[in-house]
Amino acid sequence: MTGQWVRLAQTQLRSRIRSIIIWGIALGALGALYVALFPSMSSFLQQYLEQASEQMQQFMGSVRDSMTIEGWMEIEFLTSIIPIALPFLVIPMGARAVSGSEERKTLDMLLSTPLPRRHLVISSLASMAGSLACVLAVTWVITYIAVPLAGVGLGPGRLAAALVVLWVFCLLFGSIALLVSTWVRRSFLAIVVPTVILVVMYVIGNLAQVSKKAEPIRVFSLFYHLGHPVKGDFPWTALLLMLAAVCVITAAAVALFQRRDIYT
Amino acid sequence: MSAAILTEALTKKYGSRVGISGLDLEVRQGEVFGFIGPNGAGKTTTIRLLLDLLHPTSGRAQVLGLDAHKQSVAVRRSVGYLPGEFGLAPRVTARQLLRETAGLRGMRDLGVAEQLAGRLGLDLDLPAGRLSRGNRQKTGIIQALFHSPALAILDEPTTGLDPLVQETFLQLLREARAEGRTVFLSSHILSEVERVCDRVAIVRGGHLAALETTESLLEKRRKRVTLVFASPVDAAPFAALPGVTDVYADGNAIWLRVGDSIDAVVKLAARHTILDLNVEHPSLDEVFLGYYDVPGTPPGPEAPEARR
Repeated sequence: MTGQWVRLAQTQLRSRIRSIIIWGIALGALGALYVALFPSMSSFLQQYLEQASEQMQQFMGSVRDSMTIEGWMEIEFLTSIIPIALPFLVIPMGARAVSGSEERKTLDMLLSTPLPRRHLVISSLASMAGSLACVLAVTWVITYIAVPLAGVGLGPGRLAAALVVLWVFCLLFGSIALLVSTWVRRSFLAIVVPTVILVVMYVIGNLAQVSKKAEPIRVFSLFYHLGHPVKGDFPWTALLLMLAAVCVITAAAVALFQRRDIYT
Repeated sequence: MSAAILTEALTKKYGSRVGISGLDLEVRQGEVFGFIGPNGAGKTTTIRLLLDLLHPTSGRAQVLGLDAHKQSVAVRRSVGYLPGEFGLAPRVTARQLLRETAGLRGMRDLGVAEQLAGRLGLDLDLPAGRLSRGNRQKTGIIQALFHSPALAILDEPTTGLDPLVQETFLQLLREARAEGRTVFLSSHILSEVERVCDRVAIVRGGHLAALETTESLLEKRRKRVTLVFASPVDAAPFAALPGVTDVYADGNAIWLRVGDSIDAVVKLAARHTILDLNVEHPSLDEVFLGYYDVPGTPPGPEAPEARR
């Protein structure tokens, strides 16, 4: 019954409809706000940057270099709040998949059906990917509604490219949570581990922008490798490597889960 | 016909602690098999090994002729399982849970779920968050039995059920047996095991202490005899009889325990004027306690049964 994992993923997706809608509307509203603010903020930022300290100018370098809607949206979607917030949609999903379900004592009943363990892991990844895709689709739609209203020139493909990068980026952290969830019996750890990695990468990425001493370590931050998809520089290599990492991590999660004892 | 469950030297260790050790067990197809023991004896560990939720340290287990580990998916296709403890998503109704479970089992309908819900008195359309402890247990029972499994593995199934529903549940087990299906019933409520099981295994400290028919286990336990005479009688001759123990005299009455035959006791008592004679067969609880070296109810006037 190869369709089992599809069915399970569909069920998981259905159970998350509410949070998907909330996340999608919230991020979409944020995106729309950024678009709407751009015309007034661009001139303000230009003036601000001219008067800012050297370090701040360095930190905001990408904005100064191209004070365009593309540059503005890229900062908001790939550097600022959204890439640190959106992984928290999928990290709890990954954590709940196995250890969380074990803690809630729902795993026994599920695994008393003829469901191979690997299907549970695969369906969890699929539902994470699906949930993220739905949230980003809603975000794209709402954000793009604001584009003609604000009178800015942002191509639909450019914003979509950023969201695709964001999708894979977040999925990677969700898969790390899933891996830890299949390994240890504490969902708390499955949330903490990817969170720490994410925050450390975020700090490194931003630190490297303001401190030359920190520049050599910026390669350890995924934020550095996300490229400039909104500006047309799509990070194919990083994207494919992140996708490969998701596959490897999921395979490791399957292997760990196959060997793991499940307790009450 | 292969055994419904067959374990050979099945062992599970949790670090230095033994969950179950060298368990050899055979459960025949079509029987209701009781698996009893106190908390921590290894009942749940055994069940979880059968369902491949735990992996054995050594030994092996077969369920319905299939390897419990290597062919676990095929095993679970034919097995219904009620965990001793389980959680239900609070917003999900029993019907939604059963639909999902049915889908994962490749079923196109809800099997006998409606019928079971009717007999157990469960509304399938209430969210789990609004169900009482007993109704949540009924939900678990229905999900374990609604696909009419060849083998039902039930871990403490009557927890939280009221006596009437318990009786209905035991009747369901008898019907399953009549249909040729097998039930593996783990419990520490011995009265229900006594009422429904064909054979009983007693586990103790991770080891199998006994495996016999319920009937023979009960017969092994010593009967409790109460004799009430017209006048006080010397208890010493009774205590001297072979097979008689725990003799206690008070006023006109004598209480004692006796093994296989009470013939000698009756003949000795017949020398006096007897007002009342009561022979009590032991409950499975007493048998169980005997296997755990815990003294049963003393045969004296304080014993509730002896007051009659």
